[in-house]
Amino acid sequence: MIARPDKDTPPPTPIGRVVATELKPATPHQFHFWTATETSIGIGAIVKVGGDGTGEAGRVVYGVVTDGFAYSDLATPLHDVVGAEGDPTRAAAPTTRQEIRYWTAAVLRQTPEEPLQPVPLGQVYLAADADVAQALRMDTFLYSATPTAIPIGLYTSAGHEAPVYLDADFLLGPEAAHLNISGVSGLATKTSAVEFLLGSIFAHFPAHKGRIAALCFNVKGPDLCFLDQPGDLSDEDRERYQRLGVPPAPFERVRFYAPLKADGVNLNTLRTHPDLVSDVEPLTWGLQEVVDFAEVLLNKDDIDAKADAFIDFLRDRVLGRTFDDGFGGTHRVQTFADLDRLFRSIFDGLEIASGGRSGSDTWRTHHIATIRKVRNRLLNISTRCKGLVTDDGPSSDLPWKEFTDRTVYVIDIANVDPLGQDLVFARVVSKLREQLERRELGVDAVVVFVDELNKYAPGDGSETYVKKMLLDISERGRYLGMALFGAEQFRSQVHRRVVGNAGTQLFGRMDMDELATPGYQVLSPATKSKLATLPIGELMVRHPHFTQPIFVRFPKPPVLRGRDGVGRFPPAADVPFEDAVVRQLVRLDRRVRPNQVKDLIAEREQDDVRRALAAVRHTRPDDVLAYFRKVLGSRVVPAPALPQEQHAVPPLHTISDEPY
Amino acid sequence: MTWWQALIDAGAVPAAFVPPPASRAGLGSDIDAGTERADIVEDGELQAHPVPDRSAARVPAAVSFLAGIERWSVVAYDGVVQIVSAYVAAAIRRRDERGRLHTTRERSRAFAVAPLQRMKPALRQRLEQMAPDLEPMDGDLVEQPARYLERVESTVRRVRAGIERELADACIAGLPPEEWLVLDGLLSRSPAVARHPRALGVIKSHGAQFLEGRGLERALTLPAGHRTSVFAVRGGHTRTEVYSWYLRLWPWEGNDLLYGLLRVEARADRETVARATELSGWLWAERAPLATPATRWDRLLYPLHNVEEYLSALAPRQPQLRRVSRLPKTGT
Repeated sequence: MIARPDKDTPPPTPIGRVVATELKPATPHQFHFWTATETSIGIGAIVKVGGDGTGEAGRVVYGVVTDGFAYSDLATPLHDVVGAEGDPTRAAAPTTRQEIRYWTAAVLRQTPEEPLQPVPLGQVYLAADADVAQALRMDTFLYSATPTAIPIGLYTSAGHEAPVYLDADFLLGPEAAHLNISGVSGLATKTSAVEFLLGSIFAHFPAHKGRIAALCFNVKGPDLCFLDQPGDLSDEDRERYQRLGVPPAPFERVRFYAPLKADGVNLNTLRTHPDLVSDVEPLTWGLQEVVDFAEVLLNKDDIDAKADAFIDFLRDRVLGRTFDDGFGGTHRVQTFADLDRLFRSIFDGLEIASGGRSGSDTWRTHHIATIRKVRNRLLNISTRCKGLVTDDGPSSDLPWKEFTDRTVYVIDIANVDPLGQDLVFARVVSKLREQLERRELGVDAVVVFVDELNKYAPGDGSETYVKKMLLDISERGRYLGMALFGAEQFRSQVHRRVVGNAGTQLFGRMDMDELATPGYQVLSPATKSKLATLPIGELMVRHPHFTQPIFVRFPKPPVLRGRDGVGRFPPAADVPFEDAVVRQLVRLDRRVRPNQVKDLIAEREQDDVRRALAAVRHTRPDDVLAYFRKVLGSRVVPAPALPQEQHAVPPLHTISDEPY
Repeated sequence: MTWWQALIDAGAVPAAFVPPPASRAGLGSDIDAGTERADIVEDGELQAHPVPDRSAARVPAAVSFLAGIERWSVVAYDGVVQIVSAYVAAAIRRRDERGRLHTTRERSRAFAVAPLQRMKPALRQRLEQMAPDLEPMDGDLVEQPARYLERVESTVRRVRAGIERELADACIAGLPPEEWLVLDGLLSRSPAVARHPRALGVIKSHGAQFLEGRGLERALTLPAGHRTSVFAVRGGHTRTEVYSWYLRLWPWEGNDLLYGLLRVEARADRETVARATELSGWLWAERAPLATPATRWDRLLYPLHNVEEYLSALAPRQPQLRRVSRLPKTGT
C-alpha cells in the first residue's frame, strides 16, 4: 500500500520547466515542458507541476506525458546537407547543435480542483508514489475507512515504480463494472493480465463487500487449464508481487469442468494428465437443462411465435410430468430419449388419425411442421454436442447455490461445437444471473471471464442469444454483482455497448490497423506508437478515476501458462471405454478395483454402462462399486424429476441503438 | 517600473528608436577598421596554403568560446537630448568532449546612456535616482542627433568590449592545459590573451586593410579551404602585436570577395607560424554545423553563434519589442 506523503521528505529535484507561448499556451487540460536532453521520462510518465517552493501558492497539477518532440536549432535540413557537404560519411561536426526535449502532458488532476485554471508555468517534477496516488485520484479509495483498492500493476518511470490501484466499486460494481482487455494474440498479455488481476482481486477484495468467485470460460487451447499449478517466476516478478501486496501463488481453489467426448466417458479437455484429471468434473446436461435455453439452438429463421409457443408448451405441460399424448399413450419426458419417443408417438398418432389422408396436421393446436422443426432442433443438439448433452441419464452440473469464496470455476469448452459453446455460455450465465439476483449463489459477486468477445458479441452480424445476454450483463450486471471480464483481439469489432459499458479498459500491444480505427482517436500519435510496441507484461489502463490512460507493468501470473502446462502435464491419450469407466469410478472412490469394474461391464451395452456411470456421478454414494453394480443390474431408471422450481429466464431486451 | 518609464512620468518624451541593423553593424568587438601595418612572417610574399580536410583536422578536445552581444535603443527625449537604454552581455561556453556547449562564465550590464550635463535638472535628478547603472556621455554632439547616436554606439561597443576582455582575462588565467579559448573578435585587445599560446581571435569583418597589391589580391581571392601566409599585425598603442592570417571557409565565387573569409589572430610567436595550417584545419572543420539562421553564417562559427543565441535568450526584450512597429504585436 502506498504510504501517505511524509512532510519531512526532502523536496525532489525538478526535471523540467513548463513553457507556454501564444501558439502553444498552457491550458487547464494540457501543458508543455522541456527537460534536459538526457532525461529518463518518456511517454506515459506522470509528472507534477508546482507544489511547495515553486511560488504557485499551493496549486499542484499532475499530468501524464502524451507526446514528445526533439529538435535542434537547425533552420532547414538542407543546412545540414550543406554543412556535411552532401556526404553523410564525413566526420561528425565538432559541436553538437543545441537540442530540445519538449514534452506535451495532459492534465490528470489539479489541486485545488476549483477554480480550474491554466497550468502554472512552474517547475516539473517526477511523480513519487504519493503523487501517483493523488494524480490518479486513488487517494479517495486508498485511504478511506473502507478501502476498495485492487492492485492492477506498477506504474514505472525513470527507474521508479509506484503501485496503481483500481477501485473495486468501479471494477466489480455497483458504481461501474466490467473490464475489457484488447491486444494482439500470442503475446501472453490478455490471459496473463486477467489471471494476475483475478489473483489480485481475491487478495484485496474488501471484506465489507462480501464473497467473490470467478467463472472462466476456456475457449481456446489449454489457456486456463492449469490455474492451480505454480508457474516460474523471476525474482523481479516476486518483488513486484511484494510491492503490490499480492501473494505470488497459484489459485488455492480451482474447480475444472469439461464436457465428455462423444464416447461419453473420456473428458473433452487438455487437462487429462493422470496427475490432474481427477480434479476435472464432467459437465453433462440433459433435456431439462437444455430446453430452457432452446432459443440458443434456434437460428434467426427458426425464431417465430409458433416455435416459441410449442417450446413453451413442452416446458410447461410436458417436461417432468405424466402426460397423455391423446393417442392413448402416457409419457413422462425427462430425457432426450423420452422426448424422442413422445415425438414419434405424436407423428404416428397423427398419421393413424388421418388414415393416410391429408388434413389432420395439427396436434394440440400446434402444426406438425412446427413440431417437426422443434424436434429436429432439440434432438440435433444431442447429436452435435454429444458428450455435453446426454440423450439419457442424469446430468452433471456446476455447484449451483454452493459457490465458494475466492474460488475459480473453469469451464473448458475449447473443443466443443460452437452451438454447444453458445448453449454452455447462455445457460451458465443465466443461472449465475438468476442466483445472484436471489442472493442464493453462495457468493456475493462473480467475475465472468470470456475470451474472444469478437466472436460472441461482434459489432456486426446477427442478434444471437449470446450477444443479447452479453449486452444484458454489460448493462445490468453491475447491480447484480456480476462483472464481465471480456477479452478480444480487435476491440473495434466488438459490440460498442459491450466495450462501452466496461468501466475499466486494458490495452496490450495493439495492431496498427486497429489503432487507426475511430475508437482510438482520443489517443495521441505517440501513445498509439507506444501501444503498438508495448512489451509483454505492460498494459495501458483506462479507469473511471483516471482522466487519462496510464501505462502499468504487471508481474507474470503465478500460474502455469497453458502451453507450459501442456508440456509439463501432457494430455493423456483417450483410454478404451472400460478403462475410462474404471478411471471415473476410481476418482470417486479409491477403493474401487479396476478388474472388478471390467468384469462388471463386460458384455454390457455401452449406453447402459454410461447411464449407470452418470447415476453414480449424480448420486455420489459411499460405496461406489456397490451402487454401480446395483444400477447396472437392471435398466437404470431415469432419476425422478428434481423438485426444483422452474424459473423461466427473464426476457432479454432486444438490441436497440440507444447509447450505453 | 523601469527607469525610463519613471523618466517619462517626470516629463520626458517617450521614444522608440532602435538603430537599424546596418548602422549598428552588430559587430561589437569584432569591428576591424582602418589601415594597419602588417609584415609577412611566413614565406617571402603572401601565399595561399591548403588546409587539412575536416577528416584530418585536429580539433582540440576542449575549447571555450567567447562572444558578446549589445542592444541599445533611444527610450526618451529631453528636448533633443536622446536618452538611451543599453544592454551588453558576454559569455564563455565550453565545448566538452561530446561536443556540447556549457556556459562557464558570463557577464551582463544594463545601463542608461545620457549626457547628464545637457539634461534638465529635474529629469537628470530623476534619471540618476532611478537608473541603476549610468554611462555618462559628452554633450557636445547633442545637437547633431545622427553623430550623437554614432557616439552612443561606440560607447556601448566599448562597454561590451570591456566585459568581453574581463571574461577573456579571467578565462585565460585559469585555462587548463590543452584547452583553447576562441574569441569572437580581436585577440589583440588584451595583452594577456594576445600572448597566450592557446588563444585565437576570429574576425569576421574586414574593414582594416593589412595588405596591398598582389598580397591583397591573393588574400581576397583565396580559394575555399586555403589560408594565407602568416603576417604580423602591429596595431596602435591599445593593441598587442599578434600574428594573423586569412582563412576561406566557403567558396567566394558567385558571392563576394569577403564571403566565407575569416581573419585569424594568434600570439606573435614562431610556433604560431608552424601551427597555422593545423589551426586552420581545425577552424575549417568548424564550418559544420552551419551557424544558420544567422545572416553571417558563412563566416560565423557555430559555437560563437551558439554563445550569441544563449545571450540573446537571456537578454531583456524591451528594446527589441519596440523596434519594428507601434502596432500591437499579436504573434499569430
